[in-house]
Amino acid sequence: MDDFLKQFINPYYLQVLMLLGIYLIAALGLHLITGVTGQLSFGHAAFLSVGAYGAALLNIHLDLPFLLCLLAGGLLAALAGVFVGFPSMRLSGDYLGIATLGFCEIIRVVFMNLEITGGARGLAGIPRETNLLTVYILVILTIVTIYRLQNSRFGRALVAIREDEIAAECMGIRSIWYKVGAFAIGSFCAGVAGGLYAHMLQYLNPADFGFVRSFELLCFIVLGGLGSISGAILGTTILTLAPEMLRFSAEYRMMMYGTLMVAMMIFRPRGLLGGVDLRRLIRSSFRSRDRDTTTPAGG
Amino acid sequence: MYRKTKLTAVAVIVTLLFLFGIITGCGGGNTGVQEDTIKIGFLGAKTGGHAAYGIPTLNGMKLAVEDINAAGGLLGQQVVIIEDDHRSQSSEGATVTQKLITQGVVAIVGDPTTGITKIAAEIAQGAGVVLVSAGAVGEGVVEIGDYIYRDTLLDKLAAPVVTKYLKEELGWEKVALVTSTNNDYSVGLSELFRTSLDEYGMEIVAEQSIQDGDQNFSAQVTALSKKEFDGIIFTGYYTEGGLFMKEVRAQGLDQVMVGGDGLLASVLWELGEDAVEGSMVYTGFAADPEGATGKTLEFINKYQEKYGELPDMFAAQGYDAVMLIADAIKAAESADPAKFKETLRQTTNWEGVSGTITFGPDREPIKSPVYLLEVKDGGWAIKAVLPVEI
Amino acid sequence: MDLQTLLQQMINGITLGSTYALIALGYTMVYGIIKLINFAHGDVYMLGAFVGLAVVLMGANIWLAIFVAMLACLCVAVTIERVAYRPLRSSIRLAPLISSIGVSIFLQTLMTLLKGPQPVGFPQVVTNTIYTVGLVKISTVQIIILVVAAVLMIGLQLVIKRTKMGKAMRATSEDLRTASLMGINVNAVISFTFALGAVMAAAGGVLVGMYFNSVFPLMGVMAGLKAFCAAVVGGIGSVPGAVLGGLFLGVAEVLGVAAGLGSYRDAIAFGLLILVLLFRPSGLLGQPEQRKV
Repeated sequence: MDDFLKQFINPYYLQVLMLLGIYLIAALGLHLITGVTGQLSFGHAAFLSVGAYGAALLNIHLDLPFLLCLLAGGLLAALAGVFVGFPSMRLSGDYLGIATLGFCEIIRVVFMNLEITGGARGLAGIPRETNLLTVYILVILTIVTIYRLQNSRFGRALVAIREDEIAAECMGIRSIWYKVGAFAIGSFCAGVAGGLYAHMLQYLNPADFGFVRSFELLCFIVLGGLGSISGAILGTTILTLAPEMLRFSAEYRMMMYGTLMVAMMIFRPRGLLGGVDLRRLIRSSFRSRDRDTTTPAGG
Repeated sequence: MYRKTKLTAVAVIVTLLFLFGIITGCGGGNTGVQEDTIKIGFLGAKTGGHAAYGIPTLNGMKLAVEDINAAGGLLGQQVVIIEDDHRSQSSEGATVTQKLITQGVVAIVGDPTTGITKIAAEIAQGAGVVLVSAGAVGEGVVEIGDYIYRDTLLDKLAAPVVTKYLKEELGWEKVALVTSTNNDYSVGLSELFRTSLDEYGMEIVAEQSIQDGDQNFSAQVTALSKKEFDGIIFTGYYTEGGLFMKEVRAQGLDQVMVGGDGLLASVLWELGEDAVEGSMVYTGFAADPEGATGKTLEFINKYQEKYGELPDMFAAQGYDAVMLIADAIKAAESADPAKFKETLRQTTNWEGVSGTITFGPDREPIKSPVYLLEVKDGGWAIKAVLPVEI
Repeated sequence: MDLQTLLQQMINGITLGSTYALIALGYTMVYGIIKLINFAHGDVYMLGAFVGLAVVLMGANIWLAIFVAMLACLCVAVTIERVAYRPLRSSIRLAPLISSIGVSIFLQTLMTLLKGPQPVGFPQVVTNTIYTVGLVKISTVQIIILVVAAVLMIGLQLVIKRTKMGKAMRATSEDLRTASLMGINVNAVISFTFALGAVMAAAGGVLVGMYFNSVFPLMGVMAGLKAFCAAVVGGIGSVPGAVLGGLFLGVAEVLGVAAGLGSYRDAIAFGLLILVLLFRPSGLLGQPEQRKV
């Protein structure tokens, strides 16, 4: 599959696109937790690592089929998500974020010390199974699922919790279950993304899943516009491609990246697509064009 | 209306960014470099946690390319380095490797760390590009394929030689072992030392773990101070090594430290000052302007002239990696990786600035001799030259 | 572990903890007022260490170095606030957080470019003698750190409790809008808070540089994260809490290492953090958050 694609696409682009797809899946998971449900998570990289190590180890030791490994990695991450979701019963806002940050670092330290994960030396010898097609089929699947979820009864309950948890409880929404559910589904996405990541790089190191990665993911969804799927996609795309596109600036690349983040935030404080309803925007722009044709020379 | 103009502005910025990327060729074969050059890629970090290993490697490579081009180039062509930064991130390591390959490099030098080398090696092997790591010392690197080499002193050769010296010449019986647990190099080296210490009947009376990036070692040293031992085996890097010894002396202990080439940098005594006097480091390369001869001395002087500092192990191995590739290309009379990988394999008793290199039957480098250096008055002094028995 | 070791480790822990506390103060004050986790704070600390080092290399003594570093960081922090946070004050909560991450990346890369990635040694500016007090040994540098940290913390407490500006700070942290309606220049108060935090971090940076003898561009990352944890453990928004949290974390970490759990050390710090949050969600000295209906 990859060899076939390489005839048409430069392998470098292929690599960047695959990475983008993987980040998209993970970011959409975080979008459900933070964007839709309003539960701050600073530890999304931990779910990524659980999925990555889970899938990789199952593939190496039990020789399971790739898709099954991905699924298992996702489920393991979901389990971890449930485990983290429960403290969210007691904690809210920044405190929840900080607890997840702590959880993320603990997971990293554990992977750093376990024998089976190769410790600090990392886990090598993972077969390369991920290809562009698999990644993007899963991206589309994730987008569709999250979109449908968001517009279902479950999704509306999540939004209600984000807007006002107490009011939601009064309306008969058991916020605990919904919050834990959101964590589980969001982490499942991250776990699947982690499995893809592991089978793309063929090597895992705990150092790649530190809190910096978690904040990177958070930046993806906030910068695009918190709470909107298109925002999450746009933010992830821009911030994943920006370091590549800024390569022309050589040594100054990361300085420009940092400046870009600050500038975009100041320019669009609610995210690039924050407060923008894409469907309405498209509809209204069509409508205004209609109007333009009927009343020329701008009345 | 205001919102719409804002949105338009965002759209314009995003588009501009994308255009910039495409114009400056983020990938693509055309990078403005003439076709009649031989391109060698640099894979390493210029920013982030591994920058301290990546930058010297690149400096060494640049010096090698200057030397080659000054001597008339390779096969009548000039050599250029294609460099890029992966911010010390694995995922970007893969991206950069792909990018270098699409830019038409015949060989890649890097990464200085074992982890990212493994990622890059899988890609380079698949694409048929030679990769010479100027720093990876962990297990399972050259096994990835016949395009993959490294020019480092392997600890599995050096550790037993050094252990033997400690026991037989210095009379050490009991040692303390300090490992940096988030450093793959250190964890691997500690394991090798455990085996060889056991082999020579020496006892590890205390083990402490530190982490790269630590600055405070008071707890570990206080724990060590309760034990009796002849010396410390420290398997981490120079930054932590210098600071660790500083704390050892601050707490009034007088043992010295022995470690691998991870300790080999002037930073060791810049940070450790008097505390590292007498500490020993084994290496295949030592920047010792007084003791060095020939090629090595020339390299040290040139490097110092150009960058204003003494070269470290990474710089020397970066230089050697480029030279190894160049000599292989010369011998093969072809810059085709499939051809010169064969001549590279036949490298025997090759004199580099970082020691003599032979690629063994398993394509692993055999570097001899092992130099055991000692810190003396804020400089290196050769304590012993230990031959490696194969 | 015998008593002597325990006491010795306590001294080590308290020294480490008081540097955490100095950084934590900046996090906690800023959070108290504008509810922002200021990620660039760790990098301000790093800048402080570099400025202090530069001054010492020019031949000045340690006190002047600390003073100049404080001034420099004060300017930097106020500028950062003005440029990167103030325009975002009325937007969603996460916006300034992202902005601060951007600033942090910028500062780290800038210093890597200017100074190189290698750690730089700190010249020995004080003759380091080791005193034996009872069962424990304590060095001159440790004494300097403890004294400077204590003086700064007491000074800060006086500023907050006794001055007009301190009163304005407390009012603003209580309720920003009401405070501005009462005639308090909220912008000035916020700038002042950032300045105070930066001054503490700068002193911490120089002291740590001197204590551990190394300064490097990424030194603010882990120290910043730990200090932030310390602020949360102590009760974010509370100044005595940050001090207590810093000391608590420092001692716990050192004792954890001493108990042979070195490789799990970071996990100890964060495990403690989670435990404290679960049992006292607002930290040791924090005021419980009220859920308004």
